[in-house]
Amino acid sequence: MRVGNDRPTTPVPARGLAGYWRDYPRFLWRMLVLATDGSLAFYAWMTALTAVFLVGANAWANQVADGMIRTHMTDHVSWGLYIANFTFMVGLAAGGVMMVIPAYLYHDRRMHDIVIIGELLAIAAIVMCLLLVTVDLGRPDRFWHLLPFIGRFNFPISMLTWDVIVLNGYLLINLHICGYLLYTRYLGRRPSARWYVPVVMLSIVWAISIHTVTAFLYSGLGGRPLWNSALLAPRFLASAFVSGPVFIIATLLVLRRVGSTLPIHDSAIRTLVRIVRVTILINLLMLASEVFTELYAGGSHTASARYLFFGLDGHGALVPWFWTGVGLNVAAAVLFLIPRVAESAGSLVVACAMAFAGVWIEKGMGLIVPGFIPSTLHEIVEYQPSLTEWRVTAGIWAFGLMLFTISIKVAAPVLSGRLGASGQA
Amino acid sequence: MLIAAGALAVGAGVVPSVLRQPRTGAAILPGAADARLASDAAASPRRGAVVDLPGLEHANLRIACATCHDTREPNPLNAAAADLYLFHQGLVVRHGALTCLSCHNPSDYGTLRLAGGASVAFEASATLCAQCHAPQAADYERGLHGGMTGYWDTSRGERLRKSCIDCHDPHAPAMPAMRPTFKPIDRFLPPREEHR
Amino acid sequence: MSEQRRIELPVLGGVSRRTALKGVGAALGVTAFAVAVSPLRRVAGELTADEYFQKHYKELDEREKEAVLARLQEAAREEAGRNDITVSDDPPIPGVKFAYAINLSVCNGNGACVEACHRENNHDRDTNQSYIRVLELPRGSLGLDGADSTYTHEVPAPDKFYMPVQCFQCDNPPCVKVCPVEATWKEDDGIVVVDYDWCIGCRYCEAACPYHARRFNWKAPRVPAEEVNPDQGYLSNRIRPAGVMEKCHFCLHRTRRGRLPACLEACPTGARIFGNLLDPDSEIRAVLRHKRVFVLKEDLGTEPSFFYFFDR
Repeated sequence: MRVGNDRPTTPVPARGLAGYWRDYPRFLWRMLVLATDGSLAFYAWMTALTAVFLVGANAWANQVADGMIRTHMTDHVSWGLYIANFTFMVGLAAGGVMMVIPAYLYHDRRMHDIVIIGELLAIAAIVMCLLLVTVDLGRPDRFWHLLPFIGRFNFPISMLTWDVIVLNGYLLINLHICGYLLYTRYLGRRPSARWYVPVVMLSIVWAISIHTVTAFLYSGLGGRPLWNSALLAPRFLASAFVSGPVFIIATLLVLRRVGSTLPIHDSAIRTLVRIVRVTILINLLMLASEVFTELYAGGSHTASARYLFFGLDGHGALVPWFWTGVGLNVAAAVLFLIPRVAESAGSLVVACAMAFAGVWIEKGMGLIVPGFIPSTLHEIVEYQPSLTEWRVTAGIWAFGLMLFTISIKVAAPVLSGRLGASGQA
Repeated sequence: MLIAAGALAVGAGVVPSVLRQPRTGAAILPGAADARLASDAAASPRRGAVVDLPGLEHANLRIACATCHDTREPNPLNAAAADLYLFHQGLVVRHGALTCLSCHNPSDYGTLRLAGGASVAFEASATLCAQCHAPQAADYERGLHGGMTGYWDTSRGERLRKSCIDCHDPHAPAMPAMRPTFKPIDRFLPPREEHR
Repeated sequence: MSEQRRIELPVLGGVSRRTALKGVGAALGVTAFAVAVSPLRRVAGELTADEYFQKHYKELDEREKEAVLARLQEAAREEAGRNDITVSDDPPIPGVKFAYAINLSVCNGNGACVEACHRENNHDRDTNQSYIRVLELPRGSLGLDGADSTYTHEVPAPDKFYMPVQCFQCDNPPCVKVCPVEATWKEDDGIVVVDYDWCIGCRYCEAACPYHARRFNWKAPRVPAEEVNPDQGYLSNRIRPAGVMEKCHFCLHRTRRGRLPACLEACPTGARIFGNLLDPDSEIRAVLRHKRVFVLKEDLGTEPSFFYFFDR
């Protein structure tokens, strides 16, 4: 593979500051060239994503100009599609760790070869998280108020400041890991364990923390009984360890299909499938115990749960939505338990998609919206996202997918040794 | 029987009297009341019935209660407007088992009468009310009953307190039913049909 | 990708066709993005540097605060075309902690307080915004199940009672705890305030409040010039910007000058009692002494400065 207008270069010179200043911009430039080169299908895919992204950007700009009245959120349901997707995305980012653990703690070599996909997924997902929070702000122009030391950062009292720290920290950690690995491989060097393995270990703990903190964001609110549950953080982790691995399995299958140069071995996929078989059942068990606890005792604290499960006082917009999610989760769990399903790429992708959609519903709108219904004064105002909200959210998804596509596209030839500073392999 | 002062809106001159209560919170009810209410006398409405009798040249004529009652023998059993004639037609009395003379003073229709027989000025009607409505009167004295406007900190400004009859029609003291006129317009909260 | 054909362009001599096409694509993309976000220009122009870099309320020194108040006052006057508008900032009165009580035996749900709040506090006219919601509740329970504030029938309805709810100025306010930028805090007189010029509009406080006491400005409030209440306070009823939180502040622009709150003055039933909790002779202390009071959702530990009681 030849890339762009690259000329063959001499082998990597001895490392020095001067060498770094020369090599690193060149590295960035070659990555940029690489990122924008591809087949017709690649261009079509990226053009489509760009179009969706632009629609989203336009919708957001109008929302900023006209006010949040463009959304269908109200003083009753004051968080909606944005925060629902944010919550789900934090899980997706944390879910990537399910590749890191086998690769680094269990020294699974096959997994180690492609572990970077989990880390790149984390980067794209965290960027999406940050965007989803930004579009939910009434005054995004005042973001600087949130900067430590410059604004007034209500740390450690506000869980939201914890979330700012863990999300940005997780982003930096993964940028460092991916950047370091890619750059050293590009230079044709062996990555020095000293420089990244401790950070990888940190990232495992950190991945747990991002979703725990995000769960505490909700479970710390005493006035919202649906969220005010000690099980929320474990549930978030269990569902994250479903959505992350299934997304990665599907990605691996797609990459194989499009002929990626990454060494995607069956055993890596099998490991992920085994993980999902367990986590998806744990997630369902936790959901079931929430449902039981809410319904058996009864009382007004369970009104939100009853609204979600069965509807309340004739209001039941979320009921079909919720049971669709449960159905998808259950069906996916059954599919994952059937050995034959995992053997064929087609059926495995279907099972992954069902699990992914199931978690998206359960942890997204299926969790955030009913937290507000009925309101704290027990009035019922329902919520359905506006067109603006759908557009903005779709735009962010498109942006995240662009980021993910490009980063894999760049990483694959470098990691497989086909592209390096010393020329093309 | 006459149509008396206060909130009974028979005539044009009926204006709610307002008690000015200094911060000291001294009792405005039995006893101390008269002195403070004296200052209000000038502003208080003239009593009597404003009448617009057919054929009478001077419409809106104000006639003092004593004009008739000085020459008539009071009937202590009268308890409803239907028992009366002339000026009292249409008067709604819905006040427990009270009769007219439970409150009105038959020996001087320019005043009211306490249960013990002592007469009391119309301006001090609260004293009369307190005979039966002791819990409300006690709350009123503590500032826990009855509306007010002005200053919570009376060292900074005046507080105007409403009297019993500003809110309660003495002849039918129950608060009238009201209709809320101002409602939040919540998006997506469908206006409910009229409630049960 | 082995082709390395070069095309000669007058300016970009020696650039491959693919690179040139990429350049065109990038330029198109950037242009499209610029067009897509162009609505932002509608608001970007309205914001001055002074406004944008204004410090947090608590960090303003006296001189800076005066400048901010003067600027806000000037803007408010210009907006409404009225010269009688003042924007002040009354500090808490030492030795005063405000508290409120409502007599639920007397309240009949007429909602005059809701409207008084609406007018006093320059609320958005389009949404009938107000800091108060009056709940109609079925008799027989103090739970909020079946609460409704949209009733329009004659009140009081049989078998119902009424409970006005507004900010309880909690001593342990969940809203203050969760704010990531300290845009909301509890003042020395117990009032929980919002710096409308610091709030970023994340609405975490709105999710945290167990009493639905907080409101978000989903759009810029619209108040006809002739209806604007000219007596305005920085932390209270000045007309709020779009995209920030607001809440009941016990009419601090009135109460910090010794006056009663607007909702109390408007109440035709005399159900509302307001005063200084630290003054043993105050009406509010008399309520606590002589009545059996309760607070809403006491189990949450929010410690409201707002009490309910029944006479009978």
